[in-house]
Amino acid sequence: MKTCVIGSGVTKVDRHYDKNYLVLIDEAVSKALADSGLDVSDIEYLVVSTAFPESILNQADPSTYIAQNLGFRKVKALTVSSGEVSGAVALDYAHALIRSGKASRVLVVGFEKMSEYPSWVINKVYTKILEYEVEGIKNVTPPDYAALITNEYMRRYGVSRESIIRWSIKMHENAVKTPHAQLQFTISTDSLSRALRISEPITMLDSHPTSDGAAALLLVNESVAKKADKAPIELVDVESSVNLPIYLREDLTYFSATAAAYKRLSSRNGVRLTTNTAVNVYDTYDIYGLLTIEALEICARGEAVRCMDEMPYLNVGGGLKARGHPVGATPLYQVHELRELMTGVSWAKYDGEISLAHAMSGPDNNAWLILLRRWA
Amino acid sequence: MKHSISIFWRLKDNHYKIYVTKCRDCGKAVSLKRLKCPYCGSRNVEYVESRGFGELINYTVSYYRTEGSEQYLPRVVGLVKLDEGPIIVGEIVDVDLNELSIGTRVEAVLRKYSSEDPNGLIYYGLKFIPVIKK
Amino acid sequence: MTSSRFRVGIVGWGAYIPAYRIKAKEIARQWGFDDRVTDSIWIEEKAVAGADEDTVTMGWYAAKSALLRAGVNPGDIGAVFVGTESKPYAVKPSSTIIADALGISTKKLSTDLEFACRAGSEGIRISVSLVESGTVRYGLAIGSDTAQANPGDVLELTASSGAAAYLVGPADESVAVFENLVTYVTDTPDFWRRDGSKYPAHGEGFTGEPAYFHHIVSAVKMLMDESGLKPSDFDYAVFHQPNGKFPLQVGRMLGFPREKVLPGIVTPWIGNTYNASALLGLAKILENSKPGQRILVAPFGSGAGADAISVLVTEKVLERVGRAPTVEELMARKKYISYAEYAKFRNLIHRNLW
Repeated sequence: MKTCVIGSGVTKVDRHYDKNYLVLIDEAVSKALADSGLDVSDIEYLVVSTAFPESILNQADPSTYIAQNLGFRKVKALTVSSGEVSGAVALDYAHALIRSGKASRVLVVGFEKMSEYPSWVINKVYTKILEYEVEGIKNVTPPDYAALITNEYMRRYGVSRESIIRWSIKMHENAVKTPHAQLQFTISTDSLSRALRISEPITMLDSHPTSDGAAALLLVNESVAKKADKAPIELVDVESSVNLPIYLREDLTYFSATAAAYKRLSSRNGVRLTTNTAVNVYDTYDIYGLLTIEALEICARGEAVRCMDEMPYLNVGGGLKARGHPVGATPLYQVHELRELMTGVSWAKYDGEISLAHAMSGPDNNAWLILLRRWA
Repeated sequence: MKHSISIFWRLKDNHYKIYVTKCRDCGKAVSLKRLKCPYCGSRNVEYVESRGFGELINYTVSYYRTEGSEQYLPRVVGLVKLDEGPIIVGEIVDVDLNELSIGTRVEAVLRKYSSEDPNGLIYYGLKFIPVIKK
Repeated sequence: MTSSRFRVGIVGWGAYIPAYRIKAKEIARQWGFDDRVTDSIWIEEKAVAGADEDTVTMGWYAAKSALLRAGVNPGDIGAVFVGTESKPYAVKPSSTIIADALGISTKKLSTDLEFACRAGSEGIRISVSLVESGTVRYGLAIGSDTAQANPGDVLELTASSGAAAYLVGPADESVAVFENLVTYVTDTPDFWRRDGSKYPAHGEGFTGEPAYFHHIVSAVKMLMDESGLKPSDFDYAVFHQPNGKFPLQVGRMLGFPREKVLPGIVTPWIGNTYNASALLGLAKILENSKPGQRILVAPFGSGAGADAISVLVTEKVLERVGRAPTVEELMARKKYISYAEYAKFRNLIHRNLW
């Protein structure tokens, strides 16, 4: 059974102080259902993806309350909380349900409300993506690792600080053209000297913002897809790998989990990524985006800064940097943007056969890849 | 109450001391006491206590504010290559930010990681300072 | 009096002084004192514990150095005492945390002791008796304090942070053997801190003659009477040192020439480390001593009491000095901070948490 995406909907990514998670989800779900031509009563599984519901919302298993509040009476509801890769895991689960024949119509909804608490509280919540007993308890935080990796990359390849920020500059250019993106303004290298430092040399210009958002995708099997109005895209395969902790890695500048997942995905499906392939990668910090396109074998090691200029379909939505990072929803935003690209809705015109979404936990601690293809 | 009693009490070995886990099967050594070798998965491991000295090989000065550690800002977080070989991540303290540099020789010292003031537990653990005895 | 006749001695010693320093005149000016007051009591600057340091962390470092110097198996240590008046926990011994962090045997006596500034020294005396009686093989006595300095009070000029540790054990393993030990104690209310009170109170002038001077002089005279020793028999005299002037003064009163007292004075550059005060002075002397020399050490604690202890240095001292940082190396490690940074480190100002 093939898995097809026949509808998707997203909210604008922003600090939505005036909207609770149910309101945001309702918005995204309504758009996705309308897009797909399906109705609430058609949905068999409601798979909800969110990274920190207990820390932020004091809510265990929000899927139950989303089902209750949004009128899903006959649905099987569950919540996937898998840290920073929750959305990719949720999609993998939905994909497995459909491929196995266990379900034919699955609604996957991702959301997060990162603006619900002041920064010093949310920063501590976000730090839970690292290993508490080793890093959390020792006051080591996610941007610290991005900083250490950036130092190593600059040292090893002689790449300048100003070249790394070019990633963020490009992300903002793409966000300006993306209606749902959070930061729709351009930036330049001039901003670097005034940019607030987080963990040197990582600054606000290198890092994802604090984002709220919800995204919904309708995943169905082939027979349901055949009856859809619009051309569906196929969710072909999902692959993943777990890395060693940062301090045990021989090479801080190589995302070996992303690379291993890509090798398996690419050989099993007979596909190869090129600079012209549409990819949506986790640029949690700009350095992570650069290392990811190297790990995916699109660019040679140390060459990402130059090579990204030759990638017209890289993070067309603006990436985590400028579209934003509502953590549990981010992979679903990525797939939505790739779907828009492959169905002619996006600002960019794409005629490639395949596209790829990449999600990861912190510095490639756990990497997930989702392969999409035009459905013949 | 944010500081668990039992979580930290169980972790004492890995925070009051630095242990190196050596794998008898594949021969690799890593920092911290681990159940299994992270490279080959073997349980055939032995633990050796590190003397706590090493070299600073990478560091960052962090202004990232998290609840409970505001009074320690800015934090310096670094990677230390222990004399025994493995690398460990930790906070670097008692440093002049202008004098901090790669290659500084450091030693492990017991400090407060965090404390749930005024009534809760204090978590103690090892951080690194530039060696006192040159 | 207890005379060990060379059965017990100091097997290892260690010190710790925080890196930060604040100039005494900066504190004086902050509160509108005539800054000449710092010269009148001889205090130049004091050591300040960082935000992540406390009695436990400092005591740990001093104890670790003592163990490095002693070269003994931590599993053979049968007693651990921490003398302090700045316990991080009012109830929960600092000694157990330090002991576990150093891998010391679970079969041990262990407690925190309070007697103002001389509890560390009481820990030494108790350890000597435990070793002498054969109850334990080694006893670890630590003196450590982050002294509570009442902002705007004259004691804020000197109240500082530091730690010293002594591993007591068999004389034949020692760098210095205990020759005579006496303690003189009365009920004298010169300086106190009520339970729950943040800062101590003191009687200003009353802390001098009726307290510090009377008790140290009485204790030292008691030792001299019982042992037959005279000031000329000693190469060094180290006293509790709340400032630079008091130990010089009490030394004169007891008939010790200035050059025997000066080497053991550290307070003018690191402040009064309370339970580590005399003990850091002793450590500095040991680090510069020669075999055969005799040292008098007389700690004092308010409330009040003084010890008088005489030790004889052995040839083992020379090879152990270099195994850990010396007091002089610790004194040379310094970073100056402003009153504002000092206030932040010592929690005089803090962000309201919500």
